[in-house]
Amino acid sequence: MLPDDFLTYLTIGLTHYLVVGAVLFVTGLFTMMTKRNAIGILIGVELVLNSAGVNLVAFDRYMAPGRVDGQIMTLFVIVIAAAEAAIAVGICINLYKNLATVDVDSARKLQG
Amino acid sequence: MNLLMQANLWANIPVGEHLAFFSPMITLVCTMLAIVACPIVLGRGSRTTAGIALLGIIATFILALRVLHATTTNGVSGLSTDPGAGLFIVDGLSAFFQVLLIIFLAGVTWLWWLGSSANERNAPEFFILLFGSALGMSMMVSSANLLMIVVAMETASLPSYAIVGFDKRDRLGAEASLKYMVFGAICAAIMLYGASLLYGLTGSLSVADIARFTVANLATGEHHLLLALGLLCFLVGIAFKVSAVPFHFWCPDAFQGAKIEVTTWLSVASKAAGLVLLLRLTMIFCSVVGSPADMSLIQPLAWTIAILAAVTCTVGNFSAYKQKSVKRMLAYSSIAHAGYMLMAVAVFAHPAVEGHQAGMVALLVYIVIYLFMNLGAFGVTAMIVWDTGNDDIKSFSGLMRRAPFLAVPMIICLVSLVGLPPLAGFIGKWWILLALGSLDSTLGWFLVIVAVLNTLISLYYYMRVVVQMTLRDEGDPAVQSPFGGLALVNICALMLLILFFRAHPLKTTTDRFARTLNVASLTTPSPDNAVASRFIEAD
Repeated sequence: MLPDDFLTYLTIGLTHYLVVGAVLFVTGLFTMMTKRNAIGILIGVELVLNSAGVNLVAFDRYMAPGRVDGQIMTLFVIVIAAAEAAIAVGICINLYKNLATVDVDSARKLQG
Repeated sequence: MNLLMQANLWANIPVGEHLAFFSPMITLVCTMLAIVACPIVLGRGSRTTAGIALLGIIATFILALRVLHATTTNGVSGLSTDPGAGLFIVDGLSAFFQVLLIIFLAGVTWLWWLGSSANERNAPEFFILLFGSALGMSMMVSSANLLMIVVAMETASLPSYAIVGFDKRDRLGAEASLKYMVFGAICAAIMLYGASLLYGLTGSLSVADIARFTVANLATGEHHLLLALGLLCFLVGIAFKVSAVPFHFWCPDAFQGAKIEVTTWLSVASKAAGLVLLLRLTMIFCSVVGSPADMSLIQPLAWTIAILAAVTCTVGNFSAYKQKSVKRMLAYSSIAHAGYMLMAVAVFAHPAVEGHQAGMVALLVYIVIYLFMNLGAFGVTAMIVWDTGNDDIKSFSGLMRRAPFLAVPMIICLVSLVGLPPLAGFIGKWWILLALGSLDSTLGWFLVIVAVLNTLISLYYYMRVVVQMTLRDEGDPAVQSPFGGLALVNICALMLLILFFRAHPLKTTTDRFARTLNVASLTTPSPDNAVASRFIEAD
């Protein structure tokens, strides 16, 4: 038998969005920590940035209705993510030209 | 209704006297555009580009001085009176920092002209990136809104990543920029997640609202886990900027791999901007506390910064010990100095208390002095690198004989970095210690002890370079250095002497700017959507 308040679980609310945001955040953090490939780390960064975006829109809708600050901030987050990706890929290409790899472990000349 | 409000907002976009307050930043942007257009019209030569950059620097400097003058004579200025919004704040603090930033930008441009201009084929791109990061830094110090802070920090960071790996054939540069970029991207992403949590809790992006929420929360005694997480995540981004431990790993690598003029730029400008931003945030937190007696409420925040400062200082100094590369040693030294400056930020004082701006004045004075110390030390290192081709500590041996006009300023700068009299570094440290002592709390005395112990530790590795320059001599040939470079480092050394013996004017000046800090207007509770309502009232 289904529990009585089963339908309330099905109604999408703030918590659902926050859980999606938190899952994205943790996945991104995990990716950033475990990947050795620079592009892989960047994908992790994008996941975390998008988790912030999901949170902002959700909070804007449920916690501060009538204001658009969160949505505007999300637009800025998207632009920042794009700019960062552009610079990051440029730097990765530069690294590849010099070291013939984008493995962050191979970048070990600077140490101490 | 909402649409109507926005229509009104557009109709009443501030012009004229308001825009005058942004003129330094607008000039920076215009200079960047001019440098973009320059290759089409005048060609891509280093000389042309540097000329336009110089014009831009002079114009920005004059305008920044005018804004500084306006903020000190008229008190709080134009846009900053918007209660609570804080998207853009123009006051003594931001104007003062902008003037400093432009002076430093001129110094870095001068270094670039001496060292890299002859072989540089991409001068326009270099200056666009340099000016872009300068723009971001001056935006960082003029905002008290999460959105603006995030955008400003990215504007400062993104060009910095690229400029570190500017020389495409340089393997070390490529590696350094990768490490800088990966660290920066991770910290920025975590900071944005923190910002989203703070927005969710308070329903506002204004730091004043968030501070009010935090203080109310602490007053009721419920320790909100999510609030702490949000604040800490947000702090990660700023800690990355000031290279506070444990977010400092990028710093030595980026500094060693980058060209030396870029290293000089990042070592002062990027850290100082982060520190001034953090100072503004802590000031807002202090000012929303109801009365001086309630200041114990935000002690957890003060302790967070204090511990960050103590750890940063100690780790920076201990890591500098075993370095062979002088650039890398100076990178760790700059981490340690970020720690000292964070101590000044940790001085939390209620605005109603007499002498509350002690920490702030100490920080500003320290930044001024630190600017000259680092410009001098990096300038000398730059000239050694240009002459001998490496920055190993061995290249400094016998410098007293090989180039006395480099060795003497280097000794002055290093002794000043230790913080010994009769040099300005002592004044900087002394006022930070005084500010900490005036707190007369466990936190204050704890930091005083840490600072004094760290000064003793740092004595060793700075003196190692001095000993190498004076007592060791392996018969290397004399150093050929451009006259302009000698002038630059000797002016810096002279400034350090002057600032020690004429320290009082510096203190009174910064004190006057500190008093115009726009805290009062932020303490009044903001009505919903403050900016829009202000423009509606104007109708």
